[in-house]
Amino acid sequence: MNDNIRINELCYSTLSSDNPNSFETYVSLGGYSTWKNIVSKSYDKKEIIETILKSGLRGRGGAGFPTGRKWSFINQDSEDIKYLVCNADESEPGTCKDRDILRYNPHALIEGMLIASYAIGADTAYCYLRGEFMDDVYTSFKSALKDAYDNKYIGKNILNTNIDIELHDLIGAGAYIVGEETAMLESIEGKKGYPRFKPPFPALKGLFGSPTIINNVETLASIPKIMKNGPQWFNSVGTKDSPGFKCFSVSGHVNKPGNYEIPLGTPFKKLLELAGGMKNGKKIKAVIPGGSSVPVVPGEIMLETNMDYESITKAGSLLGSGAVIVMDEDTNMVEVIHRIARFYYSESCGQCTPCREGTGWMYKIIDKILKGKGTLEDLKTLESIPNMISGSTICALGDAAAMPVESFIKNYKKEFLKYIKNKEKVLGKNNNKEFLLQQK
Amino acid sequence: MNDNTFYNIPSEICTKINEWLLKFPDGKKKPAIIFALHQIQKENKFIKKTHINSIAKFLGINEIDVYEVAAFYSMFELDKVGKHTISVCTNVSCMLNGSDEILSYLEEKLDLKVGTSSDKFFLKDERECLAACCGAPMMQVNHKYYENLTKEKIDEIIRDIDNE
Ligand SMILES: Cc1cc2nc3c(=O)[nH]c(=O)nc-3n(C[C@H](O)[C@H](O)[C@H](O)COP(=O)(O)O)c2cc1C
Ligand code: FES
Repeated sequence: MNDNIRINELCYSTLSSDNPNSFETYVSLGGYSTWKNIVSKSYDKKEIIETILKSGLRGRGGAGFPTGRKWSFINQDSEDIKYLVCNADESEPGTCKDRDILRYNPHALIEGMLIASYAIGADTAYCYLRGEFMDDVYTSFKSALKDAYDNKYIGKNILNTNIDIELHDLIGAGAYIVGEETAMLESIEGKKGYPRFKPPFPALKGLFGSPTIINNVETLASIPKIMKNGPQWFNSVGTKDSPGFKCFSVSGHVNKPGNYEIPLGTPFKKLLELAGGMKNGKKIKAVIPGGSSVPVVPGEIMLETNMDYESITKAGSLLGSGAVIVMDEDTNMVEVIHRIARFYYSESCGQCTPCREGTGWMYKIIDKILKGKGTLEDLKTLESIPNMISGSTICALGDAAAMPVESFIKNYKKEFLKYIKNKEKVLGKNNNKEFLLQQK
Repeated sequence: MNDNTFYNIPSEICTKINEWLLKFPDGKKKPAIIFALHQIQKENKFIKKTHINSIAKFLGINEIDVYEVAAFYSMFELDKVGKHTISVCTNVSCMLNGSDEILSYLEEKLDLKVGTSSDKFFLKDERECLAACCGAPMMQVNHKYYENLTKEKIDEIIRDIDNE
């Protein structure tokens, strides 16, 4: 059934081994050979960037920006200190792919960070893990880092080549907004995570005022194999605009929730099949295909859609981080958007008025509707808010909060109206949330 | 004077903070704030005003800079909390898999309202997704992951803590 699909060949390629995260496993699978070659033969930096550009790799943190292009923004000729930052803050709701790379293939990330640092001329790189990773994930990543240091792949005079690159682990302390790249720079500098105005872009003025490149864990962990096997190995799968493999975290009402790394362009149907199909034989109702920040798509449309950037855009949403949240026919869509709105309300950093106030308004109105106290007027107000937030904030959290609300109303307006018009029917006589929960 | 016990910061923590500072360009002190707060919290379970003052003095920066960070990041507890922090993720993937029931079960079992603390437990409704959505419903106990929760699993986890 699934025999013709290529799965877990890149970032999850160590998963089939007994000790996926060990240094020995990684090396036995050919790991670090690319890095060895690069430093011992003093590869041309521009050529590395060219290779990544050719591969067509797009950033896996959510925005899908071409990685090679991002790297080329660094002025190679300047004498400035430069930095590489790996975004391991993984906190987009629904997303848990980076955690598995950090736990099961940390050396691919480390090698990728080294190659990226070399290519952009950085001699210091930071890997910023979210605070909640503190126990399990951070500990195992640190031990991988130590192995790479002990084997002289990092540090001073790497493999006796006179090349110095330091790679430091950092840890956050709980804040979704710090996943936004400039908020992350603020956080590394020891401040609260307020996103910065752009321009200047980090490639010009980033960490400690120096040129900085920020990439996602999956993006960086993809680099070594692309360099080793060549850009064609990578872009011979996928589509023209979405080449290569991508990790998808499939969660929600499926039988085998999990992370699946598959070629971009794979039909959603196939991915759902990999994830064991719908739980309890239920019908599919809706899918959030790229993390809670992207618009929801009705199930019937998803079943006809392929998992690549352009197809999902055509279906009215975004591929985002690749977090695929699947909902069955019994799902109460007003409850789901209530939960999502609550999240953005509590995570807005408060710097921009439209986002700070808008997320609060949206949450409070949805809460009112859910409690059976909403009016048609409220729904109208709710419909008008996303427009007032989108495009008027420093960072994209505002849009991330607005898009889902807009799409839930658009696709499931009837359910909102039910709460407003037939309160008694939906909520019973004791119309409160607790009662509703008991009804499930 | 960056050595030994400093006001109420134990000397091992002072040493660790100094080591942490080596990751950053010379003279940068603020990048150690988050790390220092984590160390204090690990030791003391929550952060007191006096800790904030000491960290500021130790790093030679303004108290407000430390306070701002302590107040901004959700993992830092500025009020007294119980010995073990239980954070139940109630974000969307977990909610779809019954996290609200898990939270109610814990409330009942620990006889503790969400968001409050006994001497032993602090029960948190975690609004941020904890990046384990494929193991929903899930929770962290002192930042250790517990996934695919059932009532039986929870009973076991709490029993293990009780037997410690
Ligand atoms: C509110 C917000 C949260 C974000 N969270 C993350 C995150 O947790 N992890 C991540 O890699 N990127 C996150 N991003 C995207 C980053 O800003 C950035 O685009 C990305 O790390 C760049 O790496 P890439 O080009 O390799 O994708 C977030 C963006 C926004 C606006
Ligand atoms: S939604 Fe609970 S861990 Fe992601």
